[in-house]
Amino acid sequence: MKRIELIIEHAVKTYGGVRALTDGNLSVRAGEVTALLGANGSGKSTLSKIITGLVTPNGGTLTLDGQQVIMRSPSEARRQGISAVYQELSLIPDLTVAENIWLGHEPLRAGFVNRGEMRRKTQALLDLFAGLYQPNLTPDALISTLTPDERQIVEILKALSFQPRLLILDEATASLDSQQVNRLFELVARWKADGMAIVFVSHRMEEIFRIADRASVLRNGRTVGERRIAETTGRELVSLMIEGATALDRDRAALVSPDQPVRLQVEALSTSVLHGISLELRDGELLGLGGLQGQGQADLLMAIFGAIRSTGQILISGESAHFRHPNDAMKRGVALVPGDRGTEGLLLIRSIAENLLLPSWSEYGTPVRVARSRADGARIAEEMRIVMASLDAPVSSLSGGNAQKVVIGKWLLRSPKLLLLNDPTKGIDVGAKAEFYVLLDQLRQAGTAILFYSSDDDELLGLCNRVLVLHDGRIASALSGEQLTRENLVGASMGAAH
Amino acid sequence: MNTSLTRTLGRNPWLFSLLLLVVMIVLNRALQDNLFEIGPLNGNLRVFMPAILLAVGQTFVIIAGGVDLSVGAIVSMTSAILATQIPQDASADIVMRALLLAFGAGALAGMLNAFGVTVLRLQPIVTTYATSFIFSGIALQILPEPGGRLPRDLTSFWRNPLEVTPEFVIPMALIVITLLVLFWVLVSNTRYKQFLFATGGKPDAAYATGVRVNRVKFTTYLFSALFATLAGLALTLGTGTGNPRAGDMMTLPSVVAVVLGGTRLSGGQGNVVGSIIGAIILGLIGNIISFADLDSWLRPLVDALIIIVALAIPGIVSLIRRLLQ
Repeated sequence: MKRIELIIEHAVKTYGGVRALTDGNLSVRAGEVTALLGANGSGKSTLSKIITGLVTPNGGTLTLDGQQVIMRSPSEARRQGISAVYQELSLIPDLTVAENIWLGHEPLRAGFVNRGEMRRKTQALLDLFAGLYQPNLTPDALISTLTPDERQIVEILKALSFQPRLLILDEATASLDSQQVNRLFELVARWKADGMAIVFVSHRMEEIFRIADRASVLRNGRTVGERRIAETTGRELVSLMIEGATALDRDRAALVSPDQPVRLQVEALSTSVLHGISLELRDGELLGLGGLQGQGQADLLMAIFGAIRSTGQILISGESAHFRHPNDAMKRGVALVPGDRGTEGLLLIRSIAENLLLPSWSEYGTPVRVARSRADGARIAEEMRIVMASLDAPVSSLSGGNAQKVVIGKWLLRSPKLLLLNDPTKGIDVGAKAEFYVLLDQLRQAGTAILFYSSDDDELLGLCNRVLVLHDGRIASALSGEQLTRENLVGASMGAAH
Repeated sequence: MNTSLTRTLGRNPWLFSLLLLVVMIVLNRALQDNLFEIGPLNGNLRVFMPAILLAVGQTFVIIAGGVDLSVGAIVSMTSAILATQIPQDASADIVMRALLLAFGAGALAGMLNAFGVTVLRLQPIVTTYATSFIFSGIALQILPEPGGRLPRDLTSFWRNPLEVTPEFVIPMALIVITLLVLFWVLVSNTRYKQFLFATGGKPDAAYATGVRVNRVKFTTYLFSALFATLAGLALTLGTGTGNPRAGDMMTLPSVVAVVLGGTRLSGGQGNVVGSIIGAIILGLIGNIISFADLDSWLRPLVDALIIIVALAIPGIVSLIRRLLQ
């Protein structure tokens, strides 16, 4: 196996108008574990996808073994000996473990797939994790019957089956238990000794210090530093991940007085993702939910809204409110602004008026009192300062920020008492964000209780007085007052105690 | 016991089709005494053959996550080409040339569908429904009215059973079915089959693994069109004449046969043997309807009902699960 040397310089990637990566740099050497770190949206997944050919960069150079190359597709990267364990699994649910692992490089005999050989080789790979999975994980088991940790193991073995020179582990430990992680790390140490290069993308600081040799840190799409693990500390890495000093224009005076009534009370709420979440939210409070993406924030909002099943207790104004359907939640004055405007929040080709009025038609009787409904729609559009051609223009003609106002506006018509926001500013421009913040503040002052999940740490720091940081479905930390600092927020996201 | 039975059925949905096939044969036998005699057996299988071939091609498209609604129109086009290109006194050369022409047209039709789906990235339903009008139009342009007469030697070769010994004869269609099953057994053991299932099962994951998803989809539409051309050939040989509307009512049954055979309409799972059984079941249902003197409009009704039930089953199953919880 030829020893790999890969250098990425000044990689740029834009999606539409959004820059995911501005200046990504990374050098990878055989026999070394390089950790790739960064906060949410810092571009670490994009950078690793550029290496595997899943994403084509708009600029920059990729030098492999001394030659400048372009990875056009995953199959091309694979031929170069690069394979990856992806965060979103790349397994086909209806194929067996063996079929998935060997997809595209099945052992052949006379041109036909040699199933016996495939099974044997699969078992040999599974033996690497011997004793750490259920007996139902066999080469012939369907992926759809496996648990998340077993799927993760199969995904790792699949990447390994290509006998890569460079293996990328993108959050590969997220669904493994500690014994499985230990085994993986033993294996990584062995592969490293054999001359494999490993890129380890993780949000667990402790793991980075256990296995990485070097750490490369990304911030806002730029590589901002590289450190040898032996010569650095967790504190130093965290401070690289966040910008040094930013002045926050947080209005500390807007603290909620404790005599405001408790609007929402959640006790020991659990779903398949969440484990025993408890929280309290008062009228006129803007409570932040933070942490890395996919730690259960969306699940928490959906559970309160009755869109997914949960156990535990949910009280609204002291009364049980364990909703079984979003409609029940709406009737009790709860509104949810979803994260994905395009698929969940809006009928893109329908008019602004129709979208605004969608949840409220029942208020206007049968037959619908059109004039009054239009007047209400116009009032909200005016209040929210939606920049539009007319109420009858399709929502698809609006900019991202204005479209987001429509999503919120349609709930404001119902004057919600409790507003659940699922990463509402994702992908909208700075100006629209600012207007959105003003709107949130107005709502809060009017007494609406708001539960606000954001993947943007700046927003949480700037808008909220209290932030609950979720990690692996649990509240890892509740930050407020003096403790609500960027260091603590990022630290808690990474599962570190502050 | 009960759970292992449901699991076996779940993994091999075509076992259920086999059961349905037996039921249909018994029903059909009750209405038609001589069902198993060589004459009716040969006749029935020959009549079912075009539908079987369409179902086989359709299976590839559906497993890969698409659907081909132009197969009926390709049958019509093939029928029109063969009927006009093969005169009653045609020589072997002329027949060969006509066949090349028909299969060339079929291949082009398949490539047009594949182009729409993989390059223009249009919805498979929209693409193939639209192209079906092109192919129907071509059929009517070539042969405006039903007509033409194929050489008797040619048609009788297909119509009469193969005589191994004077006592032992095999219907030609049975030989074709055997070849189709053999073909599927071979395909099942190739990498191509793995790519096919991966493409239909989870295209993103397949792509990330290095499967050339678009290329796989392309081949399925090509296969489907070529099988439709074969179906057109079988139909034209069977009737001995051409009909530019021959395939008008054949598209929906091809999808229904695939569903009856246990292939999942949303892709990623399925097999050709089940589709063959499904097509035979549909043929037998048609027989039963005509023997029982029922109205012929019941046939499309049955087709539609099967599709609706097949689409509804996952929803019904999850509804029952939720209610039991």
